[in-house]
Amino acid sequence: MPKSSNNANSLLHGTLDALVLKTLITGPRHGYAIARWIEEATDELLQIEEGSLYPALYRMERRGWIAAEWGVSELNRRVKLYRLTPVGRQQLATETAQWAQFASAISKILLPA
Amino acid sequence: MVRWLWKKKVDDEVAEELAFHLEMRTQEHIARGLDPAAAREAALRRFGDFEGVKNTCREIGRRRDSEMRRREYFSEFRQDVTFALRQLIGHPGFTLIAVLTLALGIGATTAIFSVVHAVVLRPLPVPRPEQLVYVTTGTQGSGPSDVSVGNYVSLVDRQTVFSNVAAVRHSSFNLSGGETPVRTPGARVTASFFGVFGVPPALGRVFSGEEDQPGREQVAVLSDRLWRRSFAGDPAIVGKDIRMNGLPYRVLGVMPARFDLLAQPEDLWVPIAFTPKEKTMNDDHFLVVVGRLRDGVSRLRAERSLEPIAMEMRRADPRDNQGVLFRVDSVLEWMVHDYRTRLFVLLGAVGLVLLIACVNVASLLLARGAARSRELAIRAALGAGRGRIIRQLLTEHAVLALLAGAVGVALAAWGIHVLVAAAPADVPRLEQSRVDATVLAFAFGVAIVSSLLFGLAPALRATRASVIASLKEGGRGSAGSTRDRLRSVLIAAEVALAVLLLVGAGLLIRSAVALQRVHLGFEPAGVISGQVSLPAAGYKEPALVVAALTRIRQAAALAPGVRAVELSTQIPMARGGNSNGLLPEGKPLAAENLVQSQLSIVTPGYFQALKIPIVRGRPLSDDDRRGGQRVMVVNEAAAAALFPGQDPIGRKVACCEMGDSGGADYKLVVGVAADLRLHGPEETSPAAFYIPLAQAPDDAWNWIQRTMFLIARGDAAPAALAPGLRRAVAAVDPDVPLYDVKTLEQRMGSTLAAARFNTLLLALLGIVGLLLAAAGIYGVVSYFVTQRTAEIGVRMALGATPWTVTRLVMRQAAVPVACGVAAGLAASAVATRLLTASLVGVERTDPLTLAGVVALLAAAALLASFVPAQRAARVAPVTALQG
Repeated sequence: MPKSSNNANSLLHGTLDALVLKTLITGPRHGYAIARWIEEATDELLQIEEGSLYPALYRMERRGWIAAEWGVSELNRRVKLYRLTPVGRQQLATETAQWAQFASAISKILLPA
Repeated sequence: MVRWLWKKKVDDEVAEELAFHLEMRTQEHIARGLDPAAAREAALRRFGDFEGVKNTCREIGRRRDSEMRRREYFSEFRQDVTFALRQLIGHPGFTLIAVLTLALGIGATTAIFSVVHAVVLRPLPVPRPEQLVYVTTGTQGSGPSDVSVGNYVSLVDRQTVFSNVAAVRHSSFNLSGGETPVRTPGARVTASFFGVFGVPPALGRVFSGEEDQPGREQVAVLSDRLWRRSFAGDPAIVGKDIRMNGLPYRVLGVMPARFDLLAQPEDLWVPIAFTPKEKTMNDDHFLVVVGRLRDGVSRLRAERSLEPIAMEMRRADPRDNQGVLFRVDSVLEWMVHDYRTRLFVLLGAVGLVLLIACVNVASLLLARGAARSRELAIRAALGAGRGRIIRQLLTEHAVLALLAGAVGVALAAWGIHVLVAAAPADVPRLEQSRVDATVLAFAFGVAIVSSLLFGLAPALRATRASVIASLKEGGRGSAGSTRDRLRSVLIAAEVALAVLLLVGAGLLIRSAVALQRVHLGFEPAGVISGQVSLPAAGYKEPALVVAALTRIRQAAALAPGVRAVELSTQIPMARGGNSNGLLPEGKPLAAENLVQSQLSIVTPGYFQALKIPIVRGRPLSDDDRRGGQRVMVVNEAAAAALFPGQDPIGRKVACCEMGDSGGADYKLVVGVAADLRLHGPEETSPAAFYIPLAQAPDDAWNWIQRTMFLIARGDAAPAALAPGLRRAVAAVDPDVPLYDVKTLEQRMGSTLAAARFNTLLLALLGIVGLLLAAAGIYGVVSYFVTQRTAEIGVRMALGATPWTVTRLVMRQAAVPVACGVAAGLAASAVATRLLTASLVGVERTDPLTLAGVVALLAAAALLASFVPAQRAARVAPVTALQG
C-alpha cells in the first residue's frame, strides 16, 4: 500500500472502530497511545487522523463498546484511559469476522491463486 | 445550575484529553529535531480542524452523559419500585391497612367525581352547547315564567342575536296501537326546534317550515327510545302512520339516542301550529323558548339586545305585557343549577374523607419511619444522599398510592352503581356516570397527589434524623419532641376535618327532621292518584269533556275497594297546574291589582278526600251548578292578598273568563280553605283558589289540555286500588289511559328524595370520617405507649398509680383533639355557607348540632385513647425495665 494513502478517509468504513477495539484488547490505553500503537503496528503505513479518532472514541463510549476513566500516564500525567467492555469485545469479534469475509472476497478477484 | 455543571464537566474532559494528545504529538516532533514552536505548529496542522473536532466530541459526550443519567435514573427507579414492593409484601399488616384506608378515600372521591362529571361538567352532546339558551319572560323582581305565543312571535320577528330560536310546549300523548293506550311524554315544537340543537335525525327527516302551519301538523318525529320500545326499532317506520290521541300521525323521522338533552324525557315531537288569534295573545304563558346564540354573542349581550323588543311589547299591550322583560339563561346552567351546589358539597365532603385517610396513612408512615430509621441511617452511611433517600421513600409512597388507586377504582365502579341505583330518579344525566378515561385519570391523579400529601412530611422527617444518633440508639429511633409535635398536628388536622364533615351532616339531618314535622295542610295517607287526558279529537266541546270526566268518576267509584273518587286539575306534590290572576271586586282591571293564584278545578268532595280544613264559610257543593251563581273557595294566602284584614266570605272576585255581559266575570267567594304545601314541605304555600268542575270556564280545558287528576280513597291499601281504577277509565274510553298512577305518599317521597339522598350520603361520609379520625387517634396514642413502655415502667416502679399513667397517656391526645375541634368549628362557620340553600328550619350555627358534634368527637377521642392508656396502666414495672 503506497504511503500516499495515509488519509484516514481511505480506511474502509467501520475499519477504524475495529482497529481501535483491537488495540484495547491487551489493556486500557489513552487516545494518543491508541493512535501510536496502530501507527507502529503498521510500520507507519496507517496514519490515524485525530479528526476521526476522537469522535470515534466518544461514539463508541456512548454505545457502550468501550468505557473510560481518568488515570495516570507513564509520565505521571492525568489521562483519560479507555478500556474494552464485554459488549465491545463482542463487537470486535463481529467486525473481525466481517473483515475476514470481505478481504477473502476481494482477494479471490484481485489475487486469484 | 446542575445542567451547567454537567456541561462544564464534558467540556473540560474533551479539552484536557485533546490538549494531552497535541502535547504528545509536539513532543514527537521535537524528538525528531523540530524546535518547540514549529513542532506545535506541525502537530496542530496534522490535527486538522482542532475546534471542530473538539465540538464534535463535546456534542457526543453530552449526549452520552444524558443517556447515562437517564439509564441510571430508570435503573434506580426500577430498584426503588422493586424494593418498595418487597417492603410492602414484607409488612402485610401495614400494607393492608394503608391501602384499604387510602382506597376508601380515593374510591369514594372517584365515585362522586364521576357523578359530578356526568351531571355537571360534561358538555351537552350537541355542537357548541355553550350557545344554547332558554329565553323566558318575567317582570322586574318576579321569577322566570313561560312565554306567551304573542311574546314569542314578537321575539322571532325582531331578534337578531339568535341564529335559531324555537318554541316548545311540553305535552303528552295517548299513543294507541298496542293492547292498552300508552301515555307518552313529548312536545309540540316549532319547525326550528331541531335546528337550534343542530342534531340531525338518525332516520328520515325533521319538520320543514311548512309543517308548523295549522292543519298540516299531523306528522311526528320519534325518539330513539320510543322507536325501540314501541316499534321494535322498525327500520321502515318512516312514512308509516301511528295513532295518537285518536288521530293518525305520519312518522317523518327518528332522532339518535344521544338526543336526550332536557331534564324531562321527551319521546316524540309534533309540530306546533299557531292560529292567527293565538299569535296576538299575550296573557297565556305556556311556551318554553330555546335559542342558539349567534357566534360571538354573549348571553348578556343577547339579553340586552332583547330589551327594545320587550319595550315595544309593553307599549303595544300595556295590560298583558305590563313590565314584561326577556331573560336569557344558559341551558346547561339551567339543567344542573339545582344539583351543582349539592354535588360540589358532596365532592368537598368526600375530599375531606380522603384527607383524613391521608393523615392516617401519614401517621402510620411516621411510626414506620421511626422503625426504619436504622436502615435509612445505614444507607446514608453507605453514601446515599438525602435526596436519593427521599426519592426512594417517595417512590415507595407512590407505589402504595397507586396500589390504593387501583383498589379505589374498583370500589368506585361499585360505588357508582350503588349511587345511581339509590339516587332520586330525576337527576339529569346521572345514569351516564361511569368510570371512563377522565375519571380514571382523576383517580390516579388523586392517588399521586395524596401520596405526596401523606408521604412528604414523613419522608423529610425520616431522613432528618442524624445518622449517628440513630446508630447509637440501637435502632430504637429518636423519639424527639419535634416528632411528637408532628404527630399532634396530624391528630388535630384529622379531628378538624372530621368536625367539618360532621357539622355539615348534622345540619342536614336536623333539617330533614324539621321537614318531617312541617304541617302539610292535607293528609296524604291512604290516597292514590293518577291522571287522565282526553284528546281534542272526540272531546272538542267542553260539555263532552265534563260529561266524560263525570262518567269516569262514576265508573271509578264502583271499582272494588274504592270508597270515594274525586277529580282535580291540580294535586299536591305533582307537577303541572295553572295559575290565573284574581281581581277583587271594586278594583280596575290592571296588572298590579291581580293576585296570581294557583287554580284547581275540583269536584266538591276534594277537600274532604284530602282532609283539607275549611277555615271559614263552606266547601264547594253539588248545588254549585252550571248556570247557577258562580262560586269559588280561596285559600288563606289568597284571601289575605285579595282582602287584607277583611272577611272574604260573600265578596266577589273576577277571574278566568269573560262574564255574560262581556266584562270581567265575578265569582262569589263562599269559603276559605287552609293553606297547604302544594310543592312539598320545603316550599311555602302559594295563593290558591278552587272552582267546581260543573262551573269550569270553557277556555280552561285548552289551558290544561283536558287533563285531570283522579284521586281515590278505599278500604284497602291505596296501591291495591290501581288495577280497578285503570279498568274503570278504560271502560269509558279504551283509547284513554290512566297514567302517572302513584299514592300521595309516593309523590311526597320523590319530592323529598333528592334532599334525603344528599343527607344520607353526607351522614355516611361523616361516620366514615369519624371512624377514620378515631382510628388515627388510637394509632398515635398506641404508638406513644409502645415507645414509652420503659419510661412508664420506671414511673410505676417509682409509685405512679395506674390512674396517673392513664391520665398521662390520655393527655397526649387531649390537647391536639381540643385544638382540632376548635379549628374544625372555625372552618365550618365558613364552609356551611354552601349548605344554606339545603337547610330548612335550622340555622347554620345551630347550637344543638355544634354541641352534638363536639360531644360525639370528644367521646370518640376519649374511647380511642382510653384503650391504649389502659394497656399502659397494666404495664408491669419489671417487664418494662427488662424489655
